[in-house]
Amino acid sequence: MRIGVPRALFYYMYYPFWKIFFEALGHEVILSSPTNKKILKDGLEFAVDDACLPVKVFHGHIVDLLDRVDVLFIPRIISIEPGEFICPKFLGLPDMVKSSIPDLPPIIDSNLSVYKNRKDLIGHAKSIGTDLGHSSRLILKAYTIASTKFNSYKKFQISHEQLPLDSGQKSFFDSNSSYFSRHKNKCLGENTLNVLLLGHPYNIYDNYISMNLITKLQKNGIKVITPEIIPVKNISAGAKNLKKRLFWTMGKNIIGSTYYYMDCGKALDGIIHLASFGCGPDSIVGELLERKLSRNRLVPFLRINIDEHSGEEGFNTRLEAFIDVIEGRRRN
Amino acid sequence: MECYLGIDVGSVSTNFALIDKHGKMLKKLYLRTAGRPIETIKSGLKMLKEDLKDDIEIKGVGTTGSGRKLASVIVGADVVKNEITAHAVASISEIPTVQTILEIGGQDSKIIILRDGIVVDFAMNTVCAAGTGSFLDRQAQRLGIPIELFGEIAIRSKNPTRIAGRCAVFAESDMIHKQQLGYKVEDILKGLCQALVRNYLANVAKGKEINPPVVFQGGVAANSGIKRAFEEELGMEIIVPEHFDVMGALGAALLAKKAMSQNKQKQTNFYGFEAAFKEHRAESFECNGCPNLCEIVQIYVDNKLIARWGDRCGRWSENVAV
Ligand code: SF4
Ligand code: SF4
Repeated sequence: MRIGVPRALFYYMYYPFWKIFFEALGHEVILSSPTNKKILKDGLEFAVDDACLPVKVFHGHIVDLLDRVDVLFIPRIISIEPGEFICPKFLGLPDMVKSSIPDLPPIIDSNLSVYKNRKDLIGHAKSIGTDLGHSSRLILKAYTIASTKFNSYKKFQISHEQLPLDSGQKSFFDSNSSYFSRHKNKCLGENTLNVLLLGHPYNIYDNYISMNLITKLQKNGIKVITPEIIPVKNISAGAKNLKKRLFWTMGKNIIGSTYYYMDCGKALDGIIHLASFGCGPDSIVGELLERKLSRNRLVPFLRINIDEHSGEEGFNTRLEAFIDVIEGRRRN
Repeated sequence: MECYLGIDVGSVSTNFALIDKHGKMLKKLYLRTAGRPIETIKSGLKMLKEDLKDDIEIKGVGTTGSGRKLASVIVGADVVKNEITAHAVASISEIPTVQTILEIGGQDSKIIILRDGIVVDFAMNTVCAAGTGSFLDRQAQRLGIPIELFGEIAIRSKNPTRIAGRCAVFAESDMIHKQQLGYKVEDILKGLCQALVRNYLANVAKGKEINPPVVFQGGVAANSGIKRAFEEELGMEIIVPEHFDVMGALGAALLAKKAMSQNKQKQTNFYGFEAAFKEHRAESFECNGCPNLCEIVQIYVDNKLIARWGDRCGRWSENVAV
């Protein structure tokens, strides 16, 4: 069967797992095209007006898959870290899509929650496999392969500081080399400008939405660090500085990374927060970061809000000015 | 005489600054862009050429503003810089100890925070119209007041009217309402100044630490009513530099001067004032190479293609035979 996976939202977190899992079950995985103008346009057309930009983009990816798949994969994601939740928008996604887009193929929408235990991922796999009519034995086998590889993928990402861009994922699938080189505690380069880039994975790694932000930074000789290549224990250590425990994963990743690197002095040259318009969590986190960082002026901070009308012009101007700021700080 | 030229191309105005090798302003121009940036850049060049003595030699050119790339390919620039850095450089050259720059231009507004002569933070607003020069122009027009007299009249007010300044649409309807109720024009104008300043401080300058010396620049700095409103709101002296209306262009010129003096061997890229007499043409088309359907802009000089941009993938911009 051809299983359509939208290249949006959870794609940036779990894609390797599902790809391996589905293939081990004997299915073909069809990925939607990288976000482009048409996908964005379709998203804006079909999604409800008050949805955040990433959810709109998600709708566009579904449209992109419509004619070329037998089933659509839209899991109902509740929790991706024990004891934490993710944004409630993920929970309503399958229903939202069903009510907004007509003539859909069947949808696999099994729950994914590891709120109680990380191992509950197996429950998610079982329900997908059962929906597709496979035996428990085969499902278990596929799950074992997928989860083993997925875990090594995540380790690889950190040890090789491999950003989970599309190219990053590809190089993982292509390489048979050993991924287990020891990871550095801090990823800061000594002779480069180091910038911590914060934001939801589906914003910062989607080159269309982020207007190639990562490439633009790298072209300026800047080393880009994102929460995805920071060891989880460092993020948790950073997040401990907050008085209250953060219960939603993406907010924790952003704040935890910031606190962890904030005190690095001149070793860290700048922090950029790419936020999407219409995202409640982003505006709260952004506010918090801004207050923390601007008040103490520990490290230059740039907050960029993107929406469907964002022009590349103003975006580039801010970015270039920010690069001037961090270069000036380095020289001083 | 050796000179450096700075050009700041924005959607509302296109400004020129010509400085000597000590950074002294020789000549400045403030032109309306009026949706025709290429023509405006060229007529600026012509005006400069006519005004200048022949012993002027342009040693370097800098461009800035949203049309910096366009200006750069038309005149041949040595430095192409974002307007935030350009504004900061100009401000520092006039007031070296500056810690805060408030800039309100025709189409946008920004705040730049400096410490020890370097920019440490900034913010820019390009979305909201309520805080820009164009908005003030329109309101002055509506009230039948020449914009030049706006500030003067506002300052006379003893009882400023409170105008809702959150957004251009509200501010406008609130103002009309107050006008109908028979409020004095000077009170309405002052109220408008206060609304704009409140709006600027709440949005653009949100969360920024405003320390003196504070420099106020951009076209709107000509308006003494706004300057006064800033002073009252912040409780500090506000400095309006001599060349407040062309600070971006001045900064671009200074950056060109710096770049050229750092590299003495380098010849300027400037095409000369003749550039103004060449035939320039901008064309655009939609690329069908992928679903992005990018709008590609092509610039021709005397029918020769010299620059292209607008593509997301580099397919067009990286393939210009120069
Ligand atoms: S976290 Fe924000 S951007 Fe992500 S789905 Fe929720 S509202 Fe949208
Ligand atoms: S310029 Fe490149 S990205 Fe844009 S439509 Fe053409 S091929 Fe696609």
